[in-house]
Amino acid sequence: MQLASRAAVIAVLVAAAVLAVAAPARAQVLQLDTTHSVFYESPTKTHMFVYSPTADVTASPWSWIDIRAGWEADVVSGASVATKAGSIYGQSHSADVVSTASVRDFRNVGRGEVEIKGSTGTSLLAGYSYGTENDYRSNSLHVSARTDAFQHNTQFQLAYAHNFDEVCDRVQDTSLLNDFAAYRALENSAGCFTSAADRTTHDIAVDTYEASWAQSWTPVIETQLTYTAQLVDGFQSDPYRSVIVGEGLKAQEHVPNDRAREAVTARLAYYLRSLKGALRLMVRGYHDTWAIDSGAVELEAEKSLGENVRIMARGRLYRQGGAVFWSDDYTGGAPPLGPRGAYFTGDRELSPFWSFLGGLRIVWSIIPEHKRLLGFIQSFKLAGSGSVEDFSYDQFTLAGIPISNAWEYLATVSLNLGF
Amino acid sequence: MRLLPILLLLLATAAGCATVAPEHRAILADPTMQFDVDAKHEAGMRHALDNREGSMGGSGVQGGGCGCN
Repeated sequence: MQLASRAAVIAVLVAAAVLAVAAPARAQVLQLDTTHSVFYESPTKTHMFVYSPTADVTASPWSWIDIRAGWEADVVSGASVATKAGSIYGQSHSADVVSTASVRDFRNVGRGEVEIKGSTGTSLLAGYSYGTENDYRSNSLHVSARTDAFQHNTQFQLAYAHNFDEVCDRVQDTSLLNDFAAYRALENSAGCFTSAADRTTHDIAVDTYEASWAQSWTPVIETQLTYTAQLVDGFQSDPYRSVIVGEGLKAQEHVPNDRAREAVTARLAYYLRSLKGALRLMVRGYHDTWAIDSGAVELEAEKSLGENVRIMARGRLYRQGGAVFWSDDYTGGAPPLGPRGAYFTGDRELSPFWSFLGGLRIVWSIIPEHKRLLGFIQSFKLAGSGSVEDFSYDQFTLAGIPISNAWEYLATVSLNLGF
Repeated sequence: MRLLPILLLLLATAAGCATVAPEHRAILADPTMQFDVDAKHEAGMRHALDNREGSMGGSGVQGGGCGCN
């Protein structure tokens, strides 16, 4: 909360300073954005509720510079899997061998950005964000550069981000060094980031690179091609989760420290004059060094209703294969079950699955010409959306019990005001 | 895979021939033709997807076409 109130004070000071400097100007000099999202899921044995508010202010005291400050949070409550067992183990043991633990967390992120803009669509941007959770700290620096070519028909963008993160963990018995099958999971976040003798932290370094090329081909066709690469080095297990790895033996989840990830995304927008709207198609391919391959196809149809309203419908199909070390049961069984080398995880996000998402969005925006709303608002945008996603897991079970009711619900409202 | 860079180079070169004149860009500037015009509103959904899927990337950067500058 301290970070939130500090961010709010900084945002108000920035806004006041910008308005004072740019009061004589007629162009929009200040933009306020706020979004509020609610996420809910309740699959077999677990449930999760997340409320995520954000607030951002963008100040443009001069036409060549944007200064942004923002805050976001996740208020999390629910129950997640604390001890994971698979179907083979489940045949000879009670389903109660799978345990859950309640989760309560409050993630806060404060951020700032400066963007220098040229007269021909060129811009340079640099920013920093700091995030805290009960068991996680994040420092992130990012920079990007963008330029236009061929009369604004072509845009290139390069972006880079580096995270210096830390995650809390339980101090393990040093006599068991490298015997990961004997490591114990973190019980809770009490004592994290303090000098408590039973708590320690692990570093995580994340480097993300992105290159993007957007192109207007005709008056009604636009495309974008994006390549993203990410290198992650550090502790990537869920410190709270245990996996049954042998008869009566459970150990803290253990996954590789290094992960290289890359994705290629192609997007197409095509305007249909007869419908006064556009179809947008997104196709993404992904691969990483944990041998997860995935593909996503997303189709959006958005239509204008009059001057001020847009409605959009979206469908998304996603398929991924599991990580090379993923198994539903590390205690035995015929392939695809059984031990997978030195690593073990109970993470359903690393298992093979399908998902399908459907959603709707409505946007109401007003940008009056030659006057201001209520005498001081230059632009107004209010948006609301909802989506539902269904997951179908190929192999993931909780001691042999398949995951049912794996539906996720997300609703968002946002408000944007320009002054 | 070896041909991919060459293909991209050819496409980028072709892009120079495919310019849309400024007076014909009205539709490209329409909000329905922008990939990221509602990016802040969509960030919550992308955040949820990143947390529930084993993959990432490609959320993209500001698309071209507006020509607002």
